Amino acid sequence: MKEHCDHQVDCLKMIQLILDGEATDQQLARLKANLVSCQPCIQMYHLEQEVKELLTKRMEKKCCPEKLVATIKSKILTFS
Amino acid sequence: MATIPEVMSDTPTRDDQDRSGGPAGPDQILPDGDPVEQPSADTPARRYTDEQKYQVFNKEFMPHIDSMYNFAFRLTTDEDDANDLVQDTYLKAFRFISSFEQGTNAKAWLFRILKNSFINDYRKKSKEPAKVDYQDVETTYNSEDAESEHTVDLRAESVSDLIGDEVATALNSLPVDFRTVIILCDIEGFTYEEMAKILDIPIGTVRSRLHRARNLLKEKLRDYASSMGYKEESEE
Ligand SMILES: [Zn+2]
Repeated sequence: MKEHCDHQVDCLKMIQLILDGEATDQQLARLKANLVSCQPCIQMYHLEQEVKELLTKRMEKKCCPEKLVATIKSKILTFS
Repeated sequence: MATIPEVMSDTPTRDDQDRSGGPAGPDQILPDGDPVEQPSADTPARRYTDEQKYQVFNKEFMPHIDSMYNFAFRLTTDEDDANDLVQDTYLKAFRFISSFEQGTNAKAWLFRILKNSFINDYRKKSKEPAKVDYQDVETTYNSEDAESEHTVDLRAESVSDLIGDEVATALNSLPVDFRTVIILCDIEGFTYEEMAKILDIPIGTVRSRLHRARNLLKEKLRDYASSMGYKEESEE
């Protein structure tokens, strides 16, 4: 297991592409290889995944107030 | 994957009028006060009847209103501003409904209008704490030095205890352009290609801006994570 990664910045960019679902098959294969042999890459992967999850799951999603929905609906009726 | 309609393609006459409108981008889709309702005779007009307009509006636009409100709130960080922004966006969307093609990506179309309205009307008055000049940040983070420092000493385990408010505050403290890419990608799940169209920037810029935004965000999160480490000892 590698304790030091020589291309951390590139690896990090690739990890983000993969988590965003934007990576090519080739990039995916390369990362899979890294993830069994490179300690820093494994850590980066978990951190990126965790941060993404914080944003998707833990942050409150504001809903549109009903009053605003009603206002918009009534305003467009007067439009045409 | 649905694509975003090229709203310009069917209204070629607007292009000329728009050129005076300052830097390319924000105004491209829906120039203020420039009616798009009357496409010239040779363009394939989508002349919806009134009934069809309401139908499109209700079926394709209204289902996204919570996401739109959330986006508006994350951009403005203020409920009143978010209300105004969403209302303006939906009224614009209705006014310009003839440039929306049914069956295409309504959500991205609406997000693009909202983002443009935000830039044009709200950004100046938005109460951004400690407003950082975007160019400055972009330049700083362009240097390789800055980047390598940022393969951060933050551990996944240390962010796992952060609560929503802390994440929101960290996100809000980012310059708005960085905040925007994170919202679009991580919260709304848009693809890079959709983001490029919503923001009027090349896909490569989406990629690098997102990368920098996340590095900045991790820096902010690291502050919270370490302040929590201290709190634990005092058993609150
Ligand atoms: Zn590595």
